[in-house]
Amino acid sequence: MSELKSLNDTKPIDLPSALERIGGDESLLHELIEIYIEDFLEKHDLLKQAIEHGDFNTIKEIGHSLKGSSGNLSLTNLHETFYQIEMSGREEDIERARYFFHVLNKEFQKLRDFFPKQKTQFSG
Amino acid sequence: MKKQSLTNKEETFKVLIAEDNAVSARILKKNIEDWGYEVVMAQDGDEAWKAYQDEKIRLAVLDWMMPKINGLDLCRRIREIDHEEGSKEYTYVILLTAKGQQADLIKGFSAGADDYITKPFNRHELKARLKTGKRIIDLQRQIMEQADRDGLTGLWNRKRMFKILEKEINRAQREERPLATIMIDVDNFKKINDTYGHHSGDSVLVEVSSYLQKSIRNYDEICRYGGDELFIILPNCNLAMTERIAERLRQCVSETKIKTDTGTLDITISLGGVSSEIFLSDLTPDKLVISSDEALLKAKSNGRNCVVIKKKKDKM
Repeated sequence: MSELKSLNDTKPIDLPSALERIGGDESLLHELIEIYIEDFLEKHDLLKQAIEHGDFNTIKEIGHSLKGSSGNLSLTNLHETFYQIEMSGREEDIERARYFFHVLNKEFQKLRDFFPKQKTQFSG
Repeated sequence: MKKQSLTNKEETFKVLIAEDNAVSARILKKNIEDWGYEVVMAQDGDEAWKAYQDEKIRLAVLDWMMPKINGLDLCRRIREIDHEEGSKEYTYVILLTAKGQQADLIKGFSAGADDYITKPFNRHELKARLKTGKRIIDLQRQIMEQADRDGLTGLWNRKRMFKILEKEINRAQREERPLATIMIDVDNFKKINDTYGHHSGDSVLVEVSSYLQKSIRNYDEICRYGGDELFIILPNCNLAMTERIAERLRQCVSETKIKTDTGTLDITISLGGVSSEIFLSDLTPDKLVISSDEALLKAKSNGRNCVVIKKKKDKM
């Protein structure tokens, strides 16, 4: 039993669905998670600033972009969270953006716990 | 009668993936390469547009929301080129859309998209949609190919011949290289038809076409101009080379026994050639055709089974 499959019962990723999308290639999944985490960290600070400044266009764009990545990796909760962030940008709802930014950090930590061997570090 | 097979060279099927999202792009690349396609990647609309113009893209998977040029505008640009340039083959476009954008799909189809797939995509669905796109592109290519081929000999027809001439003239001028053409006539073809019947006459044309096709360089093009007249286009070929090639072709046919249903026949051909070097003004397809034909008439009046190359400078 592989390392990934043994972790299948935890929540942040729908593992069978993610693996199915890439033909069962586990090493590729790790590579993709690494790309995702790097992208997340890069955009996380930008998103934080955008929320602080009420920059709804940036909130919408970052939400949309990471919603796509999350969906492709079957990161179910993160996908939903970024959807909510994108919508808060579209509807210019700063309270909703703040709330889901908070949710986002918790969901991201779950992902990090799920993939502890991924190299990129997250400072929160 | 053995019909000559089409000489279409097998090309790889290039798929352009235009996706700014690194995760999605990597997943698409991995899958599409696994299914045997050659992949060209672009990270934004500008890169995708450049790749589309530089590479022979048969199918494009375009993300709707991209920096610089979005998928919708890119799709419109691709269709504009399809309309402008008759020679550019059709590109099948699949738009990648997020779930919330499904209501906008009508815009995508109006912009010229052929299909769409919703992100996060299902791998089997994507595979099936690519296969559908490839089937349509292959069918279109076959139809275009057949429309440009002569039904009897399988050579390029007259319509395609002029398109090739246009293209080769442009290339010759751009690269400052000569371009030659040879018009060929089967000697006493009317007599063959009258004596052995039209079926045998057809066999002669098919066999002669086949021998000539095997004898030319792989970048030369051979066409059926009409009746028993064939036309060869020889890029980067000066007068001396044209003469040598024409003479080799003449010998090849005259030394070959042509098989028909009514027996084996000794066939000869007459050839008239010209190279772009003799023209003092702008080169055109008509000039090459007319001059080659004039040289051919001279070859026939010289007693047939011979080569005449027009060497006198032409002010035409």
